[in-house]
Amino acid sequence: MKNAAVARYQNHFQSPSPRAIALFLAAVMFIAICALPAISMFGVSLTGPDGGLSIDNYRRLLTERRQHQLLLNSVLLGAGASIFATMIGAPLGLLLARVHLRGKAWRRLALVVPLITPPYVLALAWTWMAGSFAYSLTGAIVVLGVSFYPLAMLAAEAAARRVDAGLEEAALLVAAPRRVFAKITLPLIAPAVAAAALVIFALAISEFGVPGLLRVNVFTTEVFTAFAALYDFGAATALSLPLLVATMMAAIAARLLIGEQMLTGRRGSRVGLSLNFGGWQAASVALSLAVIALCVVLPVGVIAREAGGIRLIASSIKESSDAIINSFALAGAGATLAVALAVFIGYWRARMRTRWGALVDLALIALFAVPGTVTGIGLIGLWNHADWRGEIYASPLIIVIAYVSRFAPVAALLLAASVRQIPVAFEEAAVIAGASWLRTFGRIVLPQMFAGISAAWVISFIFAIGEIGATALVAPPGESTLPVRVYTLVANTPASNLAALALAQVIIVFLPLALLALFVRRSEGAK
Amino acid sequence: MSEAFLRLVGLTKRFGGRAVVDRVSLEVTEGEVVALLGPSGSGKTTTLRLTAGLETPDAGEISIGGEMVAADGRNIVPPHLRGIGFVFQDLALWPHLTVEGHLDFVLASARTPKRKRKARIAETLRIARAESFARRYPAQLSGGEQQRVALARALVGNPRLLLLDEPMAHLDAQLKTGLLEELKSLQQRLNLTTVYITHDRAEAEALTPRIVMMEAGRIISGQ
Repeated sequence: MKNAAVARYQNHFQSPSPRAIALFLAAVMFIAICALPAISMFGVSLTGPDGGLSIDNYRRLLTERRQHQLLLNSVLLGAGASIFATMIGAPLGLLLARVHLRGKAWRRLALVVPLITPPYVLALAWTWMAGSFAYSLTGAIVVLGVSFYPLAMLAAEAAARRVDAGLEEAALLVAAPRRVFAKITLPLIAPAVAAAALVIFALAISEFGVPGLLRVNVFTTEVFTAFAALYDFGAATALSLPLLVATMMAAIAARLLIGEQMLTGRRGSRVGLSLNFGGWQAASVALSLAVIALCVVLPVGVIAREAGGIRLIASSIKESSDAIINSFALAGAGATLAVALAVFIGYWRARMRTRWGALVDLALIALFAVPGTVTGIGLIGLWNHADWRGEIYASPLIIVIAYVSRFAPVAALLLAASVRQIPVAFEEAAVIAGASWLRTFGRIVLPQMFAGISAAWVISFIFAIGEIGATALVAPPGESTLPVRVYTLVANTPASNLAALALAQVIIVFLPLALLALFVRRSEGAK
Repeated sequence: MSEAFLRLVGLTKRFGGRAVVDRVSLEVTEGEVVALLGPSGSGKTTTLRLTAGLETPDAGEISIGGEMVAADGRNIVPPHLRGIGFVFQDLALWPHLTVEGHLDFVLASARTPKRKRKARIAETLRIARAESFARRYPAQLSGGEQQRVALARALVGNPRLLLLDEPMAHLDAQLKTGLLEELKSLQQRLNLTTVYITHDRAEAEALTPRIVMMEAGRIISGQ
């Protein structure tokens, strides 16, 4: 018995450990599914018409005037949406964290609705509200700003809760609350708010559905056209390079600003400074109600009105029931597989002891920022072959692969943050007790990651169920998801049908999440 | 005995129905040093936080220098107008401000004119022996240096009352002895009324003859 244990221990140093094998396999799968499409596209973009090495695609990028206009549009869209979203979201987050409000949980849930509504649905609502004005860069900025302000809100709220109460108390001993707020609280949460603004910038410039619907020419739509209309792989990828560069710069800036804390959400036990002085309480009630009215009730109301009566909605939903069921099943499968893979990658990243960790973070962010259209084209290039790959390519499985490819990187970032909160000593204690690595991982690490895994799954699911860019390109004939169906119907279908489908999209995402939120709250309350 | 400078009368604080501080009465004369000694959970820290105004008492009175600052279950004078210097157990140094920035924040909050601020900061840095790292951020300082910054921040505003909440808890024994001696001579020089929390009897005895014992929210000796 003892000898067997000693032998196992010595084995540990000679042959690859189960830990190394598991992480290696996960890394190989991750690279094959998530990185290879982007890498292969990069190779294609450097290939000339004759098959040799060529930088023509990139030269065109620098010299053509049209490209400059695209770059300007993309940057304006990203910066505009980011500023707009931060202006709405950051104050709301502060208020949620620090002002005593009744029904805070419900307010927060309502305020998050735009984030879980796919941006293209908000864009549709916006076209019905604003008419021809909607079809403009400004229109796209407004829609994406509304879509993403909850990110700024959640980041500001988490940061405001994370501030150590003692830091504010130390200041309250010498300064009035207003001054403490301005000089201590705000500077401490500013980096997190800035990082969220940069993430929103990256999301906005890689977004395809909204500029596509609102006919704003940016790089992502140009990529789609270059491929779908001209079948020009190389140009399509070269076009996405400026997006990647911009996103990388944003990611590096975000990392410098807030470092390792980027995605952690530890909550302090005490709140040092409550903003219950002056008119804060009244102002926060007014602000939250105004945002809920303008960004949630109004768009959903407009969609509901356009959709007509219940009977019309029911018949439209019935007509598209295949697409709805498809969306649900594919997004669920995609989110589950993406998280399963990301658990290992996130663990590996969190437990890295080298300086290369920062580069891994940047690589994950860069992969997440690859526009869906580029991922889609890359997947076509990799899987559309007349062998076993072709069979997968012809099945709905390719859509699941596309979701994993797009969303496993962001899930890995989230889960790495979650692993970092688990003391290494927990694992060491299990190893000293004689547990194998797999047992330690399954019984000690995974249970502690429960909250992180749930959050990563929900986020992946939300992104997947609204995905258009990659899905539209790789979906096999006859297979379609709800967003793709809406996107292709836009040009030649009555508004009422579209609205009914958009409404269905909102409901099928919102209902399960609301139930989940209530369930989590209840089980937390029971503890 | 002269008139008490700090006076707590029947001070009570409950958290979730449990009295954490239970009818505590205490008098400290001007210039005196009191060590509040007791095991963890005995209500020492809460007593200190009530005195500073960081918590609101459920009952009892607090007066400082003859001025009633809390009574009838509410704080009458807000923390920043009580003239208190406070050293926190975990120091609570602001990560985004330099050492000088910490002191300047205190003085600027009290509307001290800029020219006077400079002189006062220099003086305090000298007293706390923190001149050599005045331009650094907390993360760039050693444990002992951070301790000096926390003390300098507590002293720079010329407080009437100095409150220290286990300030040496995280320091090694050697450093502790040195800093304790410095603190003692500093206190005597400034004749500063001081309440010092610790759970270490030797530390308390090294600092002052007046030791007040707390247990389960009550003062059990030394009153």
